[in-house]
Amino acid sequence: MIKLTNIFVKFGEFEALKDINVHVKEGQFFTFLGPSGCGKTTTLRTITGFIEPTSGTVLMKGEDITHVPIEKRNIGIVFQSYALFPTMTVYDNIAFGLKIKKLGKAEIDSKVRDIAAKVDLSAEQLEKAVSQLSGGQQQRVAIARALVTGPAIICMDEPLSNLDAKLRVQLRNELKKMQREFGITTIYVTHDQEEALTLSDCIAVFNKGVIEQIGNPNEIYNHSKTEFVANFIGDINKLEPVLLSAAGLNLPEDQNHFIRLERIHVDRENSSGNLEGVIESQEYYGLYIKYYIRVGGQILKVIEKNDGVRIYNPGESVNVIINPADIMSYKKE
Amino acid sequence: MNKNSSFDAGTILKIFGFVLFVYLFMGFMVLPCMNTLASIFTTRDVYGYPSPWAVVKFFLAGTMPLFVWNSLKLAVALVITVNIVGISIVLLTEYFDIKGANVLRMGYMTTLIYSGVALVTGYQFLYDSNGMMTTWLSQMFPMMNKQWFSGFNAVLFTMTFACTSNHALFLRNAIRGIDYNTVEAARNLGASPFKVLFKVVMPTLLPTLFSLTVMTFITGLCAMSAPTLLGYNSINPEIVRLAGSSAADESFPQARAALLSVILASFTIILLSVLNHYERKGHYLSVSKTKAKLVKQKINNPFWNIAAHVYAYILFVIYMTPVVMIILFSFQNYPAIRSKMLNFSDWTLINYFGTQNYEYMTSRGRLRTRVGSISGVFSNSDAVGGIRLSFIMSAIAAALACVIVVLAVSYIFKHRNKTRAFITESCLLFPWLLPTILICYSYRIFFNREVWYVFGNNLYWRENVRFLIVMAYTVTKLPFALRMIKAAFYAMDDELEEAAKNLGASPVYTFLKVKLPIILPSVLAVFALNFNALFTEYDMGATFQSSYGKTYAMIIQNMTMEEGREGYNINASGRRCASTVFIMIVSGIILYLVYGVGARDLGERLEARKRWKRRWARLRGIKE
Repeated sequence: MIKLTNIFVKFGEFEALKDINVHVKEGQFFTFLGPSGCGKTTTLRTITGFIEPTSGTVLMKGEDITHVPIEKRNIGIVFQSYALFPTMTVYDNIAFGLKIKKLGKAEIDSKVRDIAAKVDLSAEQLEKAVSQLSGGQQQRVAIARALVTGPAIICMDEPLSNLDAKLRVQLRNELKKMQREFGITTIYVTHDQEEALTLSDCIAVFNKGVIEQIGNPNEIYNHSKTEFVANFIGDINKLEPVLLSAAGLNLPEDQNHFIRLERIHVDRENSSGNLEGVIESQEYYGLYIKYYIRVGGQILKVIEKNDGVRIYNPGESVNVIINPADIMSYKKE
Repeated sequence: MNKNSSFDAGTILKIFGFVLFVYLFMGFMVLPCMNTLASIFTTRDVYGYPSPWAVVKFFLAGTMPLFVWNSLKLAVALVITVNIVGISIVLLTEYFDIKGANVLRMGYMTTLIYSGVALVTGYQFLYDSNGMMTTWLSQMFPMMNKQWFSGFNAVLFTMTFACTSNHALFLRNAIRGIDYNTVEAARNLGASPFKVLFKVVMPTLLPTLFSLTVMTFITGLCAMSAPTLLGYNSINPEIVRLAGSSAADESFPQARAALLSVILASFTIILLSVLNHYERKGHYLSVSKTKAKLVKQKINNPFWNIAAHVYAYILFVIYMTPVVMIILFSFQNYPAIRSKMLNFSDWTLINYFGTQNYEYMTSRGRLRTRVGSISGVFSNSDAVGGIRLSFIMSAIAAALACVIVVLAVSYIFKHRNKTRAFITESCLLFPWLLPTILICYSYRIFFNREVWYVFGNNLYWRENVRFLIVMAYTVTKLPFALRMIKAAFYAMDDELEEAAKNLGASPVYTFLKVKLPIILPSVLAVFALNFNALFTEYDMGATFQSSYGKTYAMIIQNMTMEEGREGYNINASGRRCASTVFIMIVSGIILYLVYGVGARDLGERLEARKRWKRRWARLRGIKE
């Protein structure tokens, strides 16, 4: 559907993108994930046409669109701020692109009402100003406006970043539902790893203008290819050599070794644990409890499901079990 | 035409726009001012040799330094009085818990709709030696000097109250921006209310106060209508006098006027540079994530509480008396107005509409009749002519300033952070550095001959002067328009333009359908405020003094002078009062439209429309 080949983007001397290669398949929910300034938005803007790459090609359905103007690419965009026109009603916002295409009034009306119904906007809401809508409703207007012209793909640039935590989760689910219903290829930009994992079919993790890894959420999380990806996705413990030797693990010294929090197990009775530790402190999250355990000269973070029975208190001695198969190792840089 | 052709329609339009902009900038900003400056250096001494020192020597030997000194004295005094009154009215209405604060605030803001020449003549009417207020005060205090309202005192008194509305408007915004949590924190740490005021509140207001002080100083320095009408020898009235004088009457009047203008400009430039430097250092920014609204402070000490209330209401009376009196007198007959005593049994609309004959007895005992000598403001050809001329010229200038600035800001915004954007912006801000009087005086002198730059026309000749006035109006309003419209442009979300582009809109379509509607409220507000200021503008009208360019303010000024002259214009003062009421209504409507209706967003407008529809349906008996 969309194929980026050897894309380089330079702003003066600064190299924003270095040899980006991505292939987004038809109907896929593809996420560009990474910290601020990593190049994810630049890649998206290269696809939408706001930025022309210094070199490389952008193909859409096999056709080279690298130098095609923005308005002729047939790509819908949902902006970070939604960019809804404040002086127009919801109806006029959605109809904007259709009016430019010079469609007939009746056709515009039917298309607007049709898409509005699909994104769950009522006829009454269509007559309102965008400022009279809630954040969630505004998001739906932005999506409707982007979809109504029938784009081949839709690009979303951190559309949930301005919302509060609860609304974010709610809209995240709605977004995924809508994408499934419309079956439209979606490219999504975010810095929120939880958002990426829950929404995406495929994720590209960016760092300093390059893609560190492309894969489905499971591959990215459980089989992180680089230390950066492992660190960026989810929380992680770095295992110090002292701890490894205490645990009797003989791992290569030219590598850094990590383990995810939920892969460490804690038990009071089990004596088969390979390490002994003392609970330093705990954070109560309801669904689970996060423990900080002093083990072999370092603090390990551990997550345990809250079953209401096995709750450890600070100062308590526990057995810590690390399975060598869960350790992720990366060559030291 | 081929789109790739180097000379397509867009390029031609850009070149045309650039050439026009340079032509106007050179012709109506640079050349006239350079000519004024040059007139000092091309002055010839008694032997006919060029001698710039001749004018300087004459300047120092004569009474000229007195004008400069008087202007400085007025500016310094005005800074003190305006700050005292301005700060106190903001504290009384926004910070302290004073009973009736909303009514007080409205009273203090009356000079927003009652200003300029209308205010000066109104104060003169009430406070001069036989004015109603002075008569009343002298009855209460027999020792009082009945001539108190003249010269410096009169100018300072009038300008103090004329300037405080704007002063208070800005200061009010600053005080409303204070995070109340900081006040509570100080109180919690043991500070008394007055300690909080001086140690927490006032320091945060200092940057705004500094800006207001500089602007007030410049206002005092460049004062025109009050000194002219109330008789105070300061720089501006002297420049206007010299501009109308000739070498046959006195020594090098033009060069002296130019020198005074340059002195004024130097002061202005220095002060604005200081202000600019200070503003660049930045203001105090609230670091609060959850700012709390200021809660009014009770004055616990009964003595100070009563004193504050008394002071607040005395100020209210000072502000409101001229407004109320002028409104009442505008419905009075000429005998009541002449004697400056209200006659509650006889009211009339003659000062507004219609004409009457005036019958009077000559010294030889004959009864004479002057036909139509008593006329209302809307029946008097001079007044109507002045209103019409001012209306048209102000509307054209205000619109022109908006159009120029919108196009320029669009260009500046597109090329922001580039040298060309900086140059364009600087050109538009140029008039801000120069006193209005310098620009107008320069126009009057430079264009009062056949000038090659304007195709051999004399722009000061007959009706041409109206074009010159419109240009002066436009040029002087450019900086204000730029600051306001630029702020609106920069507040616009960049992504809106990208969204429109993505949906296939051309740049022109995007500008007309997306950007313009967003900035339109600001543009209309700028238009309305500029129109409001120009409609009764005095300084420029007085500088251009021409029978073909008699603006409304000049007509009002004439009304003060011509009353009852040999039975003509017998009710000129009444007409002036009616004119003032008319100005108040116009200004009030404009301010309501700008800050009331204009401030509503689309949602609020749709809600209002819905409410109207509901009311209309209810009126027609239709059930919802």
